[in-house]
Amino acid sequence: MRSFWKRHSQPYLFLAPAVAVMLFIVLYPFLYNVYIAFSNMSLYHLRDLEFVGLKHFRTILSEPAIWAVFGKTILWTVVNVVSHLVLGVGLAVLLNQQIKGRAIFRALLILPWAMPQYITALTWRGMFNYEYGSINLGLKAIGLSPIPWLASEIGAFAAPVIANIWLGFPFMMIIALGGLQSIPKELYEAADLDGAGWWFRLRKITLPLLKPVLLPAAILGTIWTFNNLNVIWLITNQGEPADKTHILVTYVYKAAFHYYRYGYAAAFSLVIFVILLSFVLAFLRAGKERTR
Amino acid sequence: MLKIANFSIGYCLALLLVIFMSCGGGGGGEEGGVTKVVLWEMMDPEEREILDELLAEWNAAHATIQVSRTNFGREQIRAQFLTAGLGGGGADLLFGAADDVGPFSIAGVIHPLDEILGAEYLSRFSEIGFDRFDGHVWMLPTQVGNHLCLLYNTDLIAEPPESLEELVAMAVEQTIDENGDGTPERYGLVFESREPFWLVPFLVGFGGWVMDDEFNPTLDTPAMAKALAFVASLRSEYGILPRECDYQLSDTMFKEKKAAFTINGHWSWGGYDDSDVPFQVTSIPLNQETGLWPGPMISSRGYYINSSVEGERLIKVIEVLDYLNSEEVQIRFADRLGVIPGLKSAFDHPSIKSNERLRASWEQYQKGRRMPVVPEMRAIWDAMRPGFQNVLNGESTPQEAARAMQIDAVKKIAEMKG
Repeated sequence: MRSFWKRHSQPYLFLAPAVAVMLFIVLYPFLYNVYIAFSNMSLYHLRDLEFVGLKHFRTILSEPAIWAVFGKTILWTVVNVVSHLVLGVGLAVLLNQQIKGRAIFRALLILPWAMPQYITALTWRGMFNYEYGSINLGLKAIGLSPIPWLASEIGAFAAPVIANIWLGFPFMMIIALGGLQSIPKELYEAADLDGAGWWFRLRKITLPLLKPVLLPAAILGTIWTFNNLNVIWLITNQGEPADKTHILVTYVYKAAFHYYRYGYAAAFSLVIFVILLSFVLAFLRAGKERTR
Repeated sequence: MLKIANFSIGYCLALLLVIFMSCGGGGGGEEGGVTKVVLWEMMDPEEREILDELLAEWNAAHATIQVSRTNFGREQIRAQFLTAGLGGGGADLLFGAADDVGPFSIAGVIHPLDEILGAEYLSRFSEIGFDRFDGHVWMLPTQVGNHLCLLYNTDLIAEPPESLEELVAMAVEQTIDENGDGTPERYGLVFESREPFWLVPFLVGFGGWVMDDEFNPTLDTPAMAKALAFVASLRSEYGILPRECDYQLSDTMFKEKKAAFTINGHWSWGGYDDSDVPFQVTSIPLNQETGLWPGPMISSRGYYINSSVEGERLIKVIEVLDYLNSEEVQIRFADRLGVIPGLKSAFDHPSIKSNERLRASWEQYQKGRRMPVVPEMRAIWDAMRPGFQNVLNGESTPQEAARAMQIDAVKKIAEMKG
């Protein structure tokens, strides 16, 4: 043991600060969250906590409204992540070409990512106003009817989706651009010699070689989008109209900080954690199997 | 190797120390003989301007007690203070609204002021400003009112309306679509029509209220249905209220002189003055159908003291509180922003008595109803909001919405109580 420690102590010592910090800022809050998930913690029971077992989990799973919120969360995540990937990779492929003004385009396309989410969300909210928002004014200018974006259930859900697509594609674009630049040019030259077309090269060279960088980015993107509170909360003004535009995290946030249902919200957070963990494990396993 | 180990351990300890120190959650401290008092507030920009002047004057005159402030949004300040306060942190002083009295006092994050300041101290303030909860006073009522009034652009409206019917007729006249594109260039009446706070005056005008004396919701009533139908008709029948008219839009339209009337509180007046809108304040006019005055919710805004502030520090914090509630300070706020002062001597000051806007605001105040400060009010607001929006969007009838509000409020209150 002593000789093992002598030989291997250096990496452990280097890791120690990070591990200590992680234990304190991740593990402790996580365990505390698990603790209150099984308690009756609320505004009325802040200091006299009682163990309530699986009560909150039963409530969560038996509320019909939650399944609708869950469905919307899946839709929100899928539409956003797929759009981020398609737009991001597409634009990265274009920007990887030798085109005039490439640096300017690159800077412009990164702008949405550089803007604070809070400001972007509120700006988009203004743009979606029925009478004076620039989107409806544009629609009217080309002879189309204005859309009640923020007043109807579908419109109010579509509005943050559009804003979040705009906000999120630059991240995928930057990741894909980095990946593209690491693909050896010789592969494309060889494909050219074999008479391969643009589509063939994309399918057989670009996308397979981008996969190692896109896979973690897609997983991260999914987790971020699934847990993205700001955009949907601010654009829909806390789930308007009539609480119809919640995703799971906004629903939990409201339960915790509007209604002070801390135990319930903690249990709900655990459910979200399990959903995301299952997704990541399944995604990684599928990725590994395909690689084999 | 030993150096690396020492560095790692030192680094680790330093990092943990930083984390522990930041867990204080925003409260002040002592530094080189100087007491740092932290104030969290939810003031509007115009109010903050005055507060900054006041704090600069205080800090210049008091080398040993330095005050700093942090601004939060209306919703954030409650959540942040509650969370920080439960952990023994948070600001020393908090400027907030009276509806936080319930959650803060139940959570035990604020001091009962009657116990630490005493009855004589509190008697300097108007009795109408106090919201007692659980037999105690928890917030010092610096400002009284915090209520909605009817505001009209005096370039467009010579005399204010005397009834709701007259208000509607005048607003119809003032709604102008010059180019006929279906979007009026000027609207007769604009107000935040997504938040139930703006529905309440009409609810009262039709004889309704939000809860009974035992804090049970009373939303499924004919009065609620009539109030909802009335507000919906402003848009659907008379076309005098824009679609999706939120606070931002109504505020901007009134500032840009694109609206004849608006319904807003004193917090907006400074902005309208800065935008050179000639306006006057009046009461929301009588509902002739019922013979009742529309009554906005009235409440106070003022200062809370964090329950973790004790001993010598508490004495210093009370010194700051004294200054922020002095007659001179209250008159400054009232003169410049139209705030009704909570301090009796400031309220009776000649400059306040002669202020026409304040007089009109005071008249409206007297027609209002006091906002309950119990935590259940949060559930009632959130239950009213969807129904209100559904009626305005044409997705529910007023009767359906009133019924849904009641069911939802009862459910939410039961959930809150666990």
